[in-house]
Order: sequence, then structure tokens, then C-alpha cells
Amino acid sequence: MRGLMEKDLRLIFTRKQTVLVFIVMALIMGMSMDGSFVIGYLTMLATIVAIGTVSYDEYDNGFAFLMTLPFDRKTYVREKYLFCLIMATAMWCIGAVLYFVINTFRGIPSDLSELPLLVSIIPTIYLSAAIMIPLQLKYGSEKSRIVLFIIFGIFAILIIAAKNVVGDSDIPFIKLEEFLDGLSPAIILLTLAGISALISFISYLCSVRIMENKEF
Amino acid sequence: MVRVEKLVKNYGDFRLDASLEIPDGTVSGIVGKNGAGKSTMIKAILGLIKPDGGHVSINGRESSKLTGKDKESIGVALSDSGFSSYLRIEDIICILRKMYPTFDEAFFRKNCEVQRLAFDKRIKEFSTGMRAKLRVLVAISHKSQLLIMDEPTSGLDIQARNDILDLLRQYLLANDNCSILITSHISSDLEGLCDDIYLLHDGKIIFHEDTDTLLDSYAILKMNEDTYGKLDKSHVLATKKEQFGYACFTDEKRFYAHKYPDIVIENGSIDDMILMLTGGR
Repeated sequence: MRGLMEKDLRLIFTRKQTVLVFIVMALIMGMSMDGSFVIGYLTMLATIVAIGTVSYDEYDNGFAFLMTLPFDRKTYVREKYLFCLIMATAMWCIGAVLYFVINTFRGIPSDLSELPLLVSIIPTIYLSAAIMIPLQLKYGSEKSRIVLFIIFGIFAILIIAAKNVVGDSDIPFIKLEEFLDGLSPAIILLTLAGISALISFISYLCSVRIMENKEF
Repeated sequence: MVRVEKLVKNYGDFRLDASLEIPDGTVSGIVGKNGAGKSTMIKAILGLIKPDGGHVSINGRESSKLTGKDKESIGVALSDSGFSSYLRIEDIICILRKMYPTFDEAFFRKNCEVQRLAFDKRIKEFSTGMRAKLRVLVAISHKSQLLIMDEPTSGLDIQARNDILDLLRQYLLANDNCSILITSHISSDLEGLCDDIYLLHDGKIIFHEDTDTLLDSYAILKMNEDTYGKLDKSHVLATKKEQFGYACFTDEKRFYAHKYPDIVIENGSIDDMILMLTGGR
């Protein structure tokens, strides 16, 4: 597992100039935009970059050799989920520090009550890893993007269809919004973390199954 | 020990159906033409593909169930796959250090220097020969008890091939009980390295013999039609019609040398074996 983490980190650092550009962009956006955008931006970026290591593994038929190294397929999958989580959390921390530093420069007092909602960015964005990892493993980096578009297309159609069935009124959505507004940030964080953990676990089981059935 | 028992793997019209055994401390070679099934065999042994039938085991454990611990004692060099070409040797050293408790960094660094492999260059900037050397060095750098090499010398010039074969010979000298399974379609690479040779043809093992026996007792007999008609064919394994008459492949060179002093006898080689037994001539 440690060797795999090392490999993924080093693969990411092969693109250090790109990563640096993204961080500078985050800094500029953080200074020019209000709110906690920079935290979400960096967390999302880290997750995408971490998922991208699967493409590096796949590139040039690399999986065949990789699977001869001293770990089993389940460990490979476990490492990918863990690596995405570590990357997302690490970049969230950097984003949070940037956010609070920028706020301090602007003279905006830091409000720790924001923290639960800011932390909830991690499980929310981690959901994208839970969706993308099995797709990448199953279809490869190119096809998985198409599959992802199809999935989001289906979701969009379902939402539009549901809205048409319910009628033109926005009442159910307004009620949902009101319900969510009424919840405390800590409850929202716990709920999101729970949902994310559950979906990630299901996703992990799917990924393990995909990898164990895969031939190289 | 590697044991392949009635392994079956189908790819469309191609069917691999073979058995073999590599005892501890043995260097075995698999030769065969392109598309004979050598790489499929290697992949099945490494658990990279699922057999449609039969069993493949390494040290008693089914290949598909090899654990990380089991794989620590196996060094692998594949012909078409290796570490990401975006990495540098310095990156690979750090990765191997964490992957293998037995990784011999000093040995690896020293041999990379000897082979003039740049530590700071990305692998994608390496030549074909340099990449092949790196793959072999990675495989032999962690004191593996079993080396599995799929076409390690394929597509290389004579100097690079010799460098790789020398690396393997040195490894064998330093590791007494180490086993090697190596595939190649360049038979001369295997003659000086392997204890025994398997000939794989159209997915089947059609020949297996100790290399010493092959080189010592096997031969090509060349004769005209009259001599061929009178020839005792009890030790002839394969016959080919040639322009001058007939060429026969035998495993009893001395028998024919003694009994038919007038026929031309050419010492056997792996190339002859391949050509005679697979109908390539």
C-alpha cells in the first residue's frame, strides 16, 4: 500500500507545473472572489488529479506489470479510495488555510461556526471519486468520461421528468430547501458523511469486483 | 516451483492447452514463433488472465490467489509493460524501497550506472534497449526466488541482448536456488542460459527437452532420396522434403553417425528444432 501511495504521489508530481498553475489560480480566485470557493475548488481539483492516477496506471498497458508487484487487486482498489480521500482532505486543509488567511487580510473575522459546512465539502466532493473510480476501472479513462456524461444525462432527464409529473409548481423542492435550511450544520455534515461513506463503500465493492474480474 | 496443469485459455480461434513444470533452481525456456501462446502462458502463470480450464500454481498457491507476500519473491519483466514511462529511475527506487522489504538499492543503483541508465530522465526518453534493461534490473533487484521474463531481449541489438543475458547469468551465480522462466523467439539467447526448453506451437507444448541433451544428442540428418529410403527411421522425429533430398530431425545423433557414416549430420540447435517440428522449413 505504501509503495502504491508513493507511486501515485510521484505520478502527480510529474505534473508539478500543472498542479502549481492550479494552486496559483486558486490563490487568485480566492483573493478575487468572495466565500469559500477556493476550498471547494482545491478539494475538487485534488480529487480529479487523484482519480487521474488510474489513467497513468492504465497508460501503455501498465496495469499488466503493476499487477505483478507485491499487492493484491483488492489492495490496489483500497489504495485508490484512500489516496483520493487523503488528497481531497490535504487540499481541503490548504484551501481552508488560504480562505482564512485571505479573510484575515480583508479584515473579515474568522467564524468557526462555518467549519462544519466547510468540512462537508469533503464528503460531497468525495462522492465524485466514488462514482468515477469504478467507471475508470471498468471502462478506462476515455470511455468512462462518456459513461459519466450518459449517467448525468439520465439524471437530468429523470429530474425533468419528475418535475413534469409533480407539476409546474416548485413546492416539493421549496419544501426540501426549507427542510435543509432548518437543519444544523453539524447534522448536515454527519448526514453527508454518512451518505458519502455508504456510497463509497458500495462503490468500493463494485471496484473490487471489477478489478478481480479484469484480465491484463 | 511453478506448475501448469492442463491450462486452457481460449481467445477466439486461438486455444492454449498446455502443461509444464519448473522445479526450484531450474532455468526453463519457452520458445515458439510469434503468436504461439508464450505471453498468454506467462500471463496465466502470473494470474493476469483467468484460465478457462486447468490449474496454474506457484509454490503450491493458485496464481489467481497470489498474495502480496507471495509476489515479493517473484521478479517479473514483461515485454510490453512496465512502470509508467512518466517516472524516472529515482522515482522507481523510492517506490521499490516501499514495495519490497528485500529491495537491494545498492545493487540496483550500481547496475543502473553500469548499464548507463540515467537516474533523472523519464523512462519515456529511454531507448528500447534501456527500457528492457531497466525492466530486467527491477525484476532482479529484490532477491526474487523466481524470475519470470517474457521476451526480455525482443527487439534489441546484439549488445543489449548480451547485456541482459549477462545480468541474468550473474543473478543465477549469486542466487543458487533461484528459478527462471524465460520466453523468447531468439533461440540462441536461451541455449546458453536454460536447463530445459519447451517448444510451444499453436498453443500446445510439442517438445520438451534438457538443453544439454538437445545440443548433444539431437541433430539434422541430410541425405538424398535413395539413402532416405533405406534409413532406419525409428529415431526420426520429423522429416522435411528438401531440394537435395530429405532432412530428418533425430534425437539419436550417435546412432545415425555410427550406422550411416556417409550421411551429413548437423548438430542440433533450438532453431532447427523449431523449424523441423513446426513445419517452418
